[in-house]
Order: sequence, then C-alpha cells, then structure tokens
Amino acid sequence: MSDSDPRQDRLLRLNAALDDELDATHRVELERELERDPQLRVSLRRLSAVREAVRRHGAPEAAPTALRNAVAAIGRPKAQRWRFPLPLAAAVAAGIVIGAAAQALIFPPPAADPVAAIVSDFARAELAGQPFDVASSDRHTVKPWLVAHAPLGVEVVDLADKGYPLAGGRIAIVGATPVPTLVYQRREHWIALTELPLSLGDGALRAREGALDGFHMVRWADRERAYVAVSDIDADELSTFVAAFRTAAGANGGESR
Amino acid sequence: MISDAARRRYQAIVPPHVDDAYALARWLSGSPVDAEDIVQDAALRALNALETANVEQPRAWFLRVVRNTALTWMAKNRSKSLAFAGSANDLAEIESVDLTADDGSPEAILIAAEDGERVRRAIASLPPPLREALVLREINGLAYREIAEATETPIGTVMSRLARGRAALAKILEDKR
Repeated sequence: MSDSDPRQDRLLRLNAALDDELDATHRVELERELERDPQLRVSLRRLSAVREAVRRHGAPEAAPTALRNAVAAIGRPKAQRWRFPLPLAAAVAAGIVIGAAAQALIFPPPAADPVAAIVSDFARAELAGQPFDVASSDRHTVKPWLVAHAPLGVEVVDLADKGYPLAGGRIAIVGATPVPTLVYQRREHWIALTELPLSLGDGALRAREGALDGFHMVRWADRERAYVAVSDIDADELSTFVAAFRTAAGANGGESR
Repeated sequence: MISDAARRRYQAIVPPHVDDAYALARWLSGSPVDAEDIVQDAALRALNALETANVEQPRAWFLRVVRNTALTWMAKNRSKSLAFAGSANDLAEIESVDLTADDGSPEAILIAAEDGERVRRAIASLPPPLREALVLREINGLAYREIAEATETPIGTVMSRLARGRAALAKILEDKR
C-alpha cells in the first residue's frame, strides 16, 4: 500500500476489496470510484474471473486416506496408534459390534469404563472420516433415527444459534449396549455427545472432565441419564458447549443435579 | 518424549487441516507423491514444535510448518532450478509483472477458465511466491493476516504478491492459444 503510483495503489485496493479485506471507509470510497470509472469495473471483473478460475480448478482432491490416517496416528501415544488401513478399520469396527453382541450372550458385559469406550468410539469415527451414521442438521430427522436404533430416549437440542450446528447422529457401543450419540459441529471440529442409561453411566463414570487419548471429555448426569461429551476442541471450548447444551436441555424440561 | 499436552494440541490443530496442508504441499511441490511425504514430515515437526510453540492462528501456523517443510524438502530433493522462493530470479520475475497493464478482457479469462488443465498449468507457471500467496488465499481461504503468518512476510507484501499473482494469471489466461 505504500506504493506511490496511484494507479497501482488503486489496484491493490481493488484486490483487497475482492478479498473482503477493505475497511468500511475505503470500501465506500472504492465503490464511488467504481461508479465513475468503467475501466476500473473491467479490472474488477477481470480479477473476479481469475479468482473463479483458480477456485474452480486449483483445488486438488482431498488428502488421501492413508495420509489422513498417518497424520492422525502421529498424535497418538505409540501403544494406541491404529495402523490398519481404512477398509480393515471398518471391518474391525463391524467386528466389534458383532463381537460385543456375541460376547453379551456368553459372558456378562465386562465392567469396562464407558468413557474409554466412548472416547475410542469417537477416535474411530474421526479416523474413518465418518463421524455420523445419519447426517442431518434437522433434529426432527436425527431423533427418530436414533430412537429407532437405540433403546433409549434421546434429547436432541438445537444449538445452531449458539454456534454448534447439529451435524448428525450415530450409535456408539458401550459394553454391549447401543447408545445414541449426537454429533455437533464447531468450525471444522466435531463434538460427540453420548447419552447413557444411568445404570451404565452413573457408577462407572469416574472423571467429571479430563482428557483421554488426546481428546477432551466432559461427563455429567441428570435424573434420567448420564451424558458424555467428547471432542478434539480444547477443554474450555468443550465446557462452553456443555454449558450451552445443559442450559438448552434444561429449558426443555430436563433437570440437572 | 512428547507430552500429553502437546499431543492434545496436535489433535486439535493438525488433523483438522490435513486437506489444506495437502493442497498447499501439492502446489508448492507440484507432485502428489511428494506432497504426501511433505505433509507427514510437517505433521511430525508440528508435534515436536507444539511442546513449546504458542499458537494463535492454528491453521496458518500449521500451514507455515508445511511451507517450511516443503522448502527444506525441495532444497534437499530437487535441483537448483526448481528451488523455491526468494531467489534473485524470482524477485526480478515478480517485479516484471505489471499490475497496471489490465486492459485485457474478462470474457477471454472466463472462456479460458473452462479448460481446467490450462488453468492449472497457468497457476503452476507463476513465480513461487506469487503462486504460494494465491493458493493460500483462494484454495486454503486464508485471510491476509493468516497468509502473512504462514509465509512470514508483512501484510503489505502479501497484498502486493496477490495482486501481482492475479495480474500475471489474467495475462496468461487472456493469451489466445
């Protein structure tokens, strides 16, 4: 901008306007210049055409799955890294579901930590790039789907106006029990909120908030259910989300304790 | 040894931006295979750096790591003719882009823009500092101050490079061929 050539200076401002980086005063000024000067309007259309061309053809495909998995694995402690490729991961996930069901027939479910199960479910979903089984921002779509797939009532709260649009829902498996999980979005991150029956959640849930395998989690309970929220957003942001959820759920008639 | 805190920060910062990192690395290296190596290398560097780094703009920060990794990587693996950014040749080439020669036609650009291969060749032919600024802006969608952080250049330079990059690209696309 320090350039002394006024013509050049004006083109820099035109670029800044195109990039939405011009303050209000300069924008108004530039709009007046555009009205007066047809050549400047051509310049703007030219720049817009270049932008359109770059955006349309310049974006390569998404990162390959192998790279995505490798990058996710780098952040995990060595013992917990998943190294199998994606199709195998899906097969293993399916195996866990079938295995858990079979196991429930033979043995009573082990008293595993539900939080650990939920966090590893979150990690698996992130890794597979498939954070939900049903994708919808409409709670009237997500709720019936969850109710149909898990034997537990679920409270679907709309938090879009708080900055957490609903992205969808999925079923997590804790022990051998399918539990409904809501997936909210925060920028490019997911927040998974799992609801548990008190029989699973209350006694066995030890920590109130903490971190596991590099993810943050917060748990709480009301009279009817226990909840676990898991995300890769930072701890403070997750607490803010939980507060927003509890407030909204409370307004719907839920009672915290 | 990597601390749990660093791992947590890594999980929050790096995996969500792997597509952006890959796109940038592809445009900087010109090769999908090299881009994968560069991004993996950058992720390792990021994990180590996150023990101490103070990150204010996560995406810009990680893309800076990717960019610096790409520079090191290319200096090691590529011939000098392909070396990246900041050489005297580049500067001369950048200065030779006349911002004010903008009497071409938007319609010609729009027609050229129908040909994806041609557009990609044109982007690839830009001097690296201009290409990098344009990719960070249009493909990665970074704001000026984030581009400044990612490329470790002042905002004024970012603006000038973007304007020159677009001017140069317009010229190339307007060329009848």
